[in-house]
Amino acid sequence: MRWRVIDYSENDAYLNMAIDEAISEAVAKGGAPTIRFYGWNPSAVSIGYFQSLEHEVDIGHCADIGVDIVRRRTGGGAVYHDHQGEITYSVIGKEERFPKDILASYRLICGWITDSLGLLGIKSEFRPINDIVVGEKKISGNAQTRRGGVLLQHGTILHSVDVDTMFSVLRVSDEKIRDKMIATVRERVTSVSQQRNVSRDELYGALLSGFTKGKDFGLGDLSDGERNRALELVENRYLTREWNAMR
Amino acid sequence: MRAEEKVKGGKLVCIELLAEGSTVASVKITGDFFLHPEDAIDSLERSLMGVDLASGESEIAARLKKALGDSQLIGASPDDLARLFRKAVIG
Repeated sequence: MRWRVIDYSENDAYLNMAIDEAISEAVAKGGAPTIRFYGWNPSAVSIGYFQSLEHEVDIGHCADIGVDIVRRRTGGGAVYHDHQGEITYSVIGKEERFPKDILASYRLICGWITDSLGLLGIKSEFRPINDIVVGEKKISGNAQTRRGGVLLQHGTILHSVDVDTMFSVLRVSDEKIRDKMIATVRERVTSVSQQRNVSRDELYGALLSGFTKGKDFGLGDLSDGERNRALELVENRYLTREWNAMR
Repeated sequence: MRAEEKVKGGKLVCIELLAEGSTVASVKITGDFFLHPEDAIDSLERSLMGVDLASGESEIAARLKKALGDSQLIGASPDDLARLFRKAVIG
């Protein structure tokens, strides 16, 4: 079946997560496998399905600086999604389209990212479980879920890093080690712009090429059904305290 | 009672326990690990409810493995969780 590629758009955190889920439901009912690119406006923190909201996020500070907080359907860690600093993707298709082995499927999809970065002259590699690194530094984090026979993987590719804001919104268990952790993250995280003088638009162009290489695909948009379902999911799940504070 | 650990080569896992007398009254397992399907977290947590706080690591691990069944825990293992359980109890 032909892939549907949904062009980059920016939404708030709740709608972004709701759209990924609405597409997953549509794919479960026979809809086209989909690759979507998106950004976060306003900037947001997403936390993994199993994470404790209170332990991971400085909720008050996020409110003060206008950073949204949302729980993902996928596991993994808390991520600060800077409005200008990254590009997020989601890949959604029937499970049978991907390797059954979870790590192998991460490797496959992350390979599209390393191919894309390669087009920009950045040599990166997949680092299990779910990261992509340049040398020893992380440039992309990814997370996957499989429900109802559908695989959803989403992830971010860092274009630039604002470590200070990142650490002001994410909670560090021991305040005394905050400075040390910031220094460590500066050493362990990199971004496309730190590697090459490449604009965010150029990064997006490379991602489009890398993700669609060798695939039969067409540019498409959300159906009305998906859009309406996403709006329902925002109200009934992603915006609710029951969901976001459930752990 | 609470214990947290970054599993070697894996993910961060935290166990929080509430006790009533000498048994577990509530359990919360949190962290940046992966579990497929995600709903299996409920079975994992339920499997430790009512357990004697003095239970050994192997008994806890056996309960967790049984509750896990065919679900896939990635970035931590039932043995890691059992070790953390003991760590939380001992304090």
